[in-house]
Amino acid sequence: MNATQDRYIAAPGTAPLVQLKGIAKYFPGVVANQDVDLDVLPGEIHALLGENGAGKSTLMNILTGIYQPDAGEITIDGYAKEFATPLDAIAAGIGMVHQHFKLVQAFTVAENIHLGWSETPRLASARKLEARTKALAERFNLHVRADARINELSTGEQQRVEILRVLAREARILILDEPTAVLTPAEARELFKALREFTSRGNAVIFISHKLDEVLEISDRITILRGGRRIATHDTSECNPRMLARLMVGRDIVLADMRQRPPGAAPRSAEPILRLESVSALDDGGKTALHDITLDIHAGEIVGIAGVAGNGQRELSHVLTGLRRIASGRIVVDGAPIGAGDAAAFSELGIGHIPEDRLRSGLAPAMSVAINAVMREYKKPPIGSGGLYRSGAATLLAREIAKAADVAVPDFAMPVRNLSGGNQQRLVARREMRIAHKVLVAAYPSRGLDVGAINTMLRYIVELRDAGAGIVLISEDLEELLNLSDRIAVLYEGRLMGALENDKIDVEQIGLLMGGRTVRKEAA
Amino acid sequence: MLQGLRLQRLPSVQPGIALAMRALAIAIVVLAASIALLVAGEDPIALGAQLVSATFSSTFGMEDFGLLVIPLILTGLSVAVGQQIGIWNIGAEGQFLVGAFAATAVGLFVPGPAWLILPLIIAAGALGGVVWILVPTLARAFVGVNELITTLLLNFVAALLVYYVSTGPWRDRVGMSNSSTPRITVEMPEFWGLIHWGLPIAILMALAAAAILAFSRWGYEVRLSGSNPSAAAYAGIAVRRHIITVMLLSGLIAGVAGAFELAGTVHRLQGGISNNFGYLGIMVAVLARNSCVGVIFTGILMAFILNSGIILQTQGITTSAVLAMTGAILFLTAIGDELAHYRILRAGSTRA
Repeated sequence: MNATQDRYIAAPGTAPLVQLKGIAKYFPGVVANQDVDLDVLPGEIHALLGENGAGKSTLMNILTGIYQPDAGEITIDGYAKEFATPLDAIAAGIGMVHQHFKLVQAFTVAENIHLGWSETPRLASARKLEARTKALAERFNLHVRADARINELSTGEQQRVEILRVLAREARILILDEPTAVLTPAEARELFKALREFTSRGNAVIFISHKLDEVLEISDRITILRGGRRIATHDTSECNPRMLARLMVGRDIVLADMRQRPPGAAPRSAEPILRLESVSALDDGGKTALHDITLDIHAGEIVGIAGVAGNGQRELSHVLTGLRRIASGRIVVDGAPIGAGDAAAFSELGIGHIPEDRLRSGLAPAMSVAINAVMREYKKPPIGSGGLYRSGAATLLAREIAKAADVAVPDFAMPVRNLSGGNQQRLVARREMRIAHKVLVAAYPSRGLDVGAINTMLRYIVELRDAGAGIVLISEDLEELLNLSDRIAVLYEGRLMGALENDKIDVEQIGLLMGGRTVRKEAA
Repeated sequence: MLQGLRLQRLPSVQPGIALAMRALAIAIVVLAASIALLVAGEDPIALGAQLVSATFSSTFGMEDFGLLVIPLILTGLSVAVGQQIGIWNIGAEGQFLVGAFAATAVGLFVPGPAWLILPLIIAAGALGGVVWILVPTLARAFVGVNELITTLLLNFVAALLVYYVSTGPWRDRVGMSNSSTPRITVEMPEFWGLIHWGLPIAILMALAAAAILAFSRWGYEVRLSGSNPSAAAYAGIAVRRHIITVMLLSGLIAGVAGAFELAGTVHRLQGGISNNFGYLGIMVAVLARNSCVGVIFTGILMAFILNSGIILQTQGITTSAVLAMTGAILFLTAIGDELAHYRILRAGSTRA
């Protein structure tokens, strides 16, 4: 936590490099930022910590001129500023490296550095641009290969190009959004070294992250955002992981405990109904997204999967529903191993799936309500027998599902996208519940829904549990997980950290696990 | 933006509005053409009346017109079938040519009675179309190569192949022409006048395709795969397998069109036998909004436009004018399809 390099000490009374005061930003129905104050001093690395949706990205989009604040002031170097466009922010010395790089893959490093830059010479040969790039690289001590094409570079190298691109435009404030998410540990160490050097010249870094360890390692001060508001700012030396976790996720938990079973509900089965044995799987890009996952799902229980999105949730839900082949390991359903990567076989076995993005993968938005409603049962009589598709029978089934979902559908031939998001989700949920005799995999079932629709969704899930299905509930919402789950496991970087009984768990502990700290490590 | 008014984009288009937009596109183009004719010193109304009477009031006119309808329905159907699963078969032209080529091979070199040879000719045409779309199909299904480019480029290969055999190894050494093969010995039986049985068969094929898509499990899976492939995968549908069968079917229909054209209308293989039918089929399908029943009507419409061009030629007006008109209709239809997504709202209106 102690920097080895000399820290830049600002003269007393020096104005903060960046001063945000009372920033607010509203989107329809959402308060993205409210009353946010933030001071960034020269020479410091200031970490911005918070869950997904805490308002970090909105705040940085305001600071970089992408959004205009609905209230509040931005002061840079003591002068009040208004950024009408990102170019204004760049001119004021603010540069941002986004989590997903904005580089032209087919261009060389030199071309990317010079793209859209007023100082790029009007007539410039490739050689000249490369020479300029080399000079810049030396000046900022960031080694890049000027003549290499971006698609030949590793992600660490690409990030270095992004940083150089920002620094070349004389940025004094460098914003990094989840910079280590794509880096190997060695690359991350490189990056930290470069950041230290950058700040030692009186510049500042704003470092967005949800990883507690690295925030504690790299930053000088930490600001925690939650629900769009600033919760606290502390010197890093005063912080510890436990306290940060509490600040980050520790909202007041509404204890609407839905874990109690009504009389007559199916008990938790002794044997698991679905079992993952040392399962590993790749993401779409061919990288390992799930490492050696072992997980038992019993009938009549809800297993919550917590974690920050992008840590393997998508792949896990795919593996559990047969949408993705596994690289190694075994999937056992009701005692019998099943070949992975056959979604039809999984659904026929009684595994339902509420996908994370219903419009992209759970529904065909342009097709009729009826066609979408029967997606799981079109092969069975009365709709499908003898290779036929009986649209009359399909409409009848759709009517039944819509009735169970309490969705008023004026016309079953109209495109399903004409329904509201909540109605779509209820329809998908009811459709899946009909086939989920054994297991329901629900990925972010309440995402994007209003409170009423959320309650309905959770009620459905409990109802299915009581009917004797095993539920895997993937969610970012800790409240939801704590209220529903019998056990909670945390996904972090493709690894499943513990599957703890809900009774023996507290929010802080989950927060630590979500930030990549193991329980044992913390206890030591 | 205008004060007090704003535009709202609707996610889906009502079919009625889309059809109205098509009618409007055609009306605008006809109007523009009329003005152009006026400027050129012609009388557009008299010419229009002449077009209608020349087409519909004589047997000759009806025959010419009907013979154009057959290939246009089929190539339109070929494109529309591909579109059911989101595939743009730009190669109906090439599949048509290779279908005609394969049909010629049977017609010229396989001896036998007509009742045997004729079905063989049509089967050969179908096979030719399938073979010609096979490589684009496999490239699309297994490596994700965009079928727009592969199917389009193979058109030129097919055109050169047909040109080569009809002026080279298979050319008519007896007749006067050096640019076509000899006449094949069998032909499609006549249905009405010179119009052969290809017409009712083409209409039946379009109806059958529509029925299969609407009322079979296969059709359901294909439509779902075309509308949202990831939802189809989620439902456990083998999307790749369906892409393969649909593309091959699309090629098959275009190949059959080529065989019909050869055995029913032209009777000998020659360089220009495809007459751009493959490309016009794209228009036929777009105007029909990829409805398999719709292509019957838009095929007829397109045949009328094409036939009009031929008649206008006798009046000293170049056929390029008609090509320009068809292009303008397609262009305006594309704009109309986009506009059909919008509706104008008064400010303060809260209807969403």
